[in-house]
Amino acid sequence: MTSLCVTLVAVLTVAYVGLIAVAMSYAALTVEFSQSVRNDEAAVAVLERQYFVTMTHITKTDYAAAGYTTPSVKVFVPAKSVTALR
Amino acid sequence: MRAQFRSRIRIVLALVVCAALFIFMRLYFVQIVYGEEYAQKADRQFASGGSGLFDRGSIYFTRKDGTTISAATLSSGFLVAINPQTITDPEAAYAAITAVASSSLSYSAFLAAAAKKTQVYIEVAHHLSEENGKKLAAQAIRGIQVLRERWRDYPGATLAAHSIGIVSYGSGHTLAGQTGLEATYDDLLSRSGDALYKNFFAELFSNVGNLLVSAKDAREGDIVTTIEPEVQTRLENDIANVSQRYASQESGGIIMDPRTGAIIALAMYPTYDANNRQNVNPSLLGNPLAEHVHEFGSIMKPLTMAAGLDAEVITPQTTYNDTGCITVNTKQVCNWDLKARGFIPMKQVIVQSLNLGAAWVAAELGQEKFRGYFTTLFGQKTGIDLPNEGRALLNNLSHSQQINYTTAAYGQGIAMTPLQMIRALSTLANGGIMVQPHLVSTIRLNSGIERKLDWSKTIPVFGAKAVRDTAEMMTAVVDEKLESGKAKIPTMSVAAKTGTAQLTNGQGGYYSDRFFHSFIGFFPSYNPQFIILLYTNDPRNVTYASDTLGSTFLDLTHFLIDYYAVPPDRGFATTTPS
Repeated sequence: MTSLCVTLVAVLTVAYVGLIAVAMSYAALTVEFSQSVRNDEAAVAVLERQYFVTMTHITKTDYAAAGYTTPSVKVFVPAKSVTALR
Repeated sequence: MRAQFRSRIRIVLALVVCAALFIFMRLYFVQIVYGEEYAQKADRQFASGGSGLFDRGSIYFTRKDGTTISAATLSSGFLVAINPQTITDPEAAYAAITAVASSSLSYSAFLAAAAKKTQVYIEVAHHLSEENGKKLAAQAIRGIQVLRERWRDYPGATLAAHSIGIVSYGSGHTLAGQTGLEATYDDLLSRSGDALYKNFFAELFSNVGNLLVSAKDAREGDIVTTIEPEVQTRLENDIANVSQRYASQESGGIIMDPRTGAIIALAMYPTYDANNRQNVNPSLLGNPLAEHVHEFGSIMKPLTMAAGLDAEVITPQTTYNDTGCITVNTKQVCNWDLKARGFIPMKQVIVQSLNLGAAWVAAELGQEKFRGYFTTLFGQKTGIDLPNEGRALLNNLSHSQQINYTTAAYGQGIAMTPLQMIRALSTLANGGIMVQPHLVSTIRLNSGIERKLDWSKTIPVFGAKAVRDTAEMMTAVVDEKLESGKAKIPTMSVAAKTGTAQLTNGQGGYYSDRFFHSFIGFFPSYNPQFIILLYTNDPRNVTYASDTLGSTFLDLTHFLIDYYAVPPDRGFATTTPS
């Protein structure tokens, strides 16, 4: 009986120490992942800023100044056109 | 031997138990008793003194294909602080910092900071990049601390700045949303301080339920707006061009889906860079499109017409005798060109923008019905998810003098916000109901749940027949009148109306030479996907809105048709001179 209790206590103790190790590792990983997510978000923000800058540049481009001329005729796609209904 | 072994085992076991108890106690003190202190200490190895790293939810734009892109996010990098008590060579330190710091750091200010020997921590540079921060830290200069920091970043800078809003300290000691969506959804976007350090061990003791289902994760998250970044860019560019070209006090524009109230773009000029607000006039930080009221002028006429048609006091075929000028309550009211037209049908009231026609419809409606329609249209705030929404000024409609109804019929004497105006006019584009304008469609909670916001509340105003007849009249404005008919798009019906209102002089009267220009339009006319409201306040050297805003409206219309591949809704001649 005594040996059973001793074994049980030993197992519980080892399990408990193991749990503590898991908890500590989990906490460390959580911190690490949180920071890594934030760093990745910041990196994405840099790319998004480039996208917005490019988009604004395209919108503001003066095509006449760039040498393009206004088309002499505009052709509109008719309502029943296959292309229009695609 | 056996007893001796057993006693040894017990001793070992006792030691293990003691060690476990010791670890247990130590953990209890480290994580629970002093947990917060240690978390802050850990933060400060990389974070600025006095507080943890800034954390906040993101705000996203939604592209036309449904993908999201950040409107407001977090950037991380480093700040530089000095310890005046330990800094030994301020000049060398200054040289090292300015070599990597992007912001300009005054030499004299730096030396003054370094001379404050009673202090141990003074921040001298912010927002260093990862690379530069690590480079400076690697130099290990005595008295210089390189600490991690995070800050609010708006990748679009000026893009939708009035709608997105800003985060600042305001009157408190914590960063919080002050304007725009940052303020409206502050509770959702704010993060409590311990988000980074999930104290698993402590929560095992204190709150097992919280560990499994976090209450915070169910109330904190990100928001997804209905703003389409490319459309927003286009609108902002066009609005800025109008304002600069005519030296207007301000100009604004809204593009909305009239069926749902989803705002696709909302722009204002002048604007500001949300990332760099040092020299920004504080009056720019609000959202004038939701807060400021204006007299919009003739874009009110379609609403007067729809009210008359809906009340069945007129039909599209009804005629009236246009005498050019009339006198109401001793005040003279005239058409914009002072000319009489004789007996003409209702369509011409809209096509030629006749004040007398609108006044005649208002008289036919009677004061009570007119007041009823206009109170329904403008009597309540729109409920948009922006702070400090303004109320319409409808005081004139509480008096019995007919002149008040006459002028209100063509958009003078009553004032409303641009958002109220586009909501009211969207009734003409969606079968007669008022929708709820909104900027945020979805909330993404940290728990992973995505919640669509319910903006489906509508208010019926006009019958479908009345709004279709009015839309037909407005379509004739584009097909026959705008740019002398050249604006007509053969394959797309577009309904529009211009408005030119005299500006109030602040003394109960109006300027005769200063105007408020507005423009409303939607397409396809009979099943609209887009409604556009534009305005420019006090443009110089130009009188009519068709001159200031007509080409801008057409540019936006063609852009939207191309960008969203809006299918044609009619099949007229397919070739037209440019």
